[in-house]
Amino acid sequence: MGLDLARTVGQIDSLARRLHDRRDERSDRLARALATMAGADVGELRRKLESSLSRPFLCPGLVGGLAGRYSRAGLPPDFCVAATDGSHIDVDRHTPVKCYLINVGGCLLTYGSRPDARLFSEPVLYSEESDLYLGNPAPGSVEAVAVEGPMLGLKRAVEEIRALADLVEEAPPGMPVLALIDGSLVLWGLAGRGYQPFVRDRIIADGLLPALDRLHEASRSRPVALAAYVSLPQSTEVVNLLRLYLCLYDSETCSSHCNSHRSRQTPCDTVNELLDRHLFERLLEPGERSDTFLSQSSISREWYGQHRVHFFYVNTGREIGRVEVPGWVAGDEALVSLCHGLILDQCERGIGYPAAIAESHEQAVVTGADRLAFRQIVDEALEMNGLPVYTSEKARSKRTRWL
Amino acid sequence: MTEAQVPRRVGEVVESASDRFVAQCYTLYESPSLGAFVRAGSEGANGDGTPVYGVVYGVSTQSLDPGRPVIARGGDSASEDEVYDANPQLARLLCTRFEAVITGHSAGGSLKQYLPPLPPRIHSFVFECAGDEEREATRSLDFLGLLLGASPFGPGMADEVIAACLRRASAHQEDPRGFLVGAGKALAAYLSRDLTRLDAILRRLRP
Repeated sequence: MGLDLARTVGQIDSLARRLHDRRDERSDRLARALATMAGADVGELRRKLESSLSRPFLCPGLVGGLAGRYSRAGLPPDFCVAATDGSHIDVDRHTPVKCYLINVGGCLLTYGSRPDARLFSEPVLYSEESDLYLGNPAPGSVEAVAVEGPMLGLKRAVEEIRALADLVEEAPPGMPVLALIDGSLVLWGLAGRGYQPFVRDRIIADGLLPALDRLHEASRSRPVALAAYVSLPQSTEVVNLLRLYLCLYDSETCSSHCNSHRSRQTPCDTVNELLDRHLFERLLEPGERSDTFLSQSSISREWYGQHRVHFFYVNTGREIGRVEVPGWVAGDEALVSLCHGLILDQCERGIGYPAAIAESHEQAVVTGADRLAFRQIVDEALEMNGLPVYTSEKARSKRTRWL
Repeated sequence: MTEAQVPRRVGEVVESASDRFVAQCYTLYESPSLGAFVRAGSEGANGDGTPVYGVVYGVSTQSLDPGRPVIARGGDSASEDEVYDANPQLARLLCTRFEAVITGHSAGGSLKQYLPPLPPRIHSFVFECAGDEEREATRSLDFLGLLLGASPFGPGMADEVIAACLRRASAHQEDPRGFLVGAGKALAAYLSRDLTRLDAILRRLRP
């Protein structure tokens, strides 16, 4: 017997009833939050931001205004959209061999007078000691972190950006390029896990930043807008700006009464449980984008340098998407405008989601059947080479399921 | 050989059985026509040594990935080409395939109009026959027996394919009318007990 659905249904019903009962109250708070946003004194908010550095919640930096709305620009006659995505098969401790696989997929789509498409996927198997452990390169150090689980996710993210830089360098010369990845530009996997500094060095300084530098370099000879697209974003950064604006207390009182996701004081509790997209669903018309904000993620702030992450929201007509761009894109109004227009165009072509990212996902995806086949091929290769093939009793027990 | 007589390489075998094979075209929509003679494999260094001949029995175009259904995209487009231009990845994600019923093979330098001992290998290159090769393939009409018996899409489709094949082949004969009269007589022998079917095919052969 697995999940007792009959008992679960009752709990789900109770959750839905609770949300329904709070609907009017939440709608009222959203209206007040929007009114605050519309009437906010940006100068005062800026002053408050500068003097409130130790709040329990993260506030983004203001680049321009708070509630600005920007229309889309026209499309260039010819342009390219490059995108990459990745998938992996993690190290399986129930198998006789330690290895993992990263499959990076991507596409380079050319629109305009000479439409074309290049699709690819590149699977790479890693099994060397230097692949399986991320070592501290400091002289005499024996420290090493196993590349599996979240660490493998970080390595994969770096490989995706590297492949994206390759694609952009291969794009037909002269055309503007939108370079897209799925999700966030911030390597959140490095935050709050207590990794030693050498891990960040190896992942960011040795891996991510050189790839981002190549993309920035490519933008010197033609317009290249690098962007990460987040569908159905769960962020509360702009909401946190309103929370700060509404807060009547100093940082110390705020920190002792409230936590990162909830305020326990009035009037800043107005924005409890609201997300940035709730605000922009009401504020932005289809096709419009918001002001640009500066992410205060410690990973981006401390390590990304010229690539420090900025973001804006866009109403694609189907949802509010979050677009993250590096500093060199955010600082160039023409690139932001290009990024805005091409992302909307991609969402239209992709029926709600950027076509190039969707295609990259299709190229990268490793299905359940692929995983089974991979495992079988590994076993067969070991057998053919006279090596022992075995599995854990736990894995065998799950497969056989005796009565 | 003139340019028109050079066999055109159109694709590769992706499914193979004793009596038929399926080929995937290299270029979207560039399939040999219904009823065309095709050859899988070549003699000599570039092939496996057993060229297998067949007649195109059906052409289809679909999503390369069966899990990704094709959706309508042209509601706002002025032309069909515009749909492809606006979605350039489509040409890489759709594929055209054709199925051929095997009608013979080459052995010892001559064409045998009966099934080969083994079907073509997967990835055998497939050529659309032209000129002398096409005339050689239709020099004897014994292949009609294999086509009449083939029914992967039902007997109605077999009749359509036979008629298309003979119309096409007659155009490359020195005496097209004589070729069709001969083909009609051969069909009459095969279908002496099924005059309705014979009539259906003959009506499709009339100019």
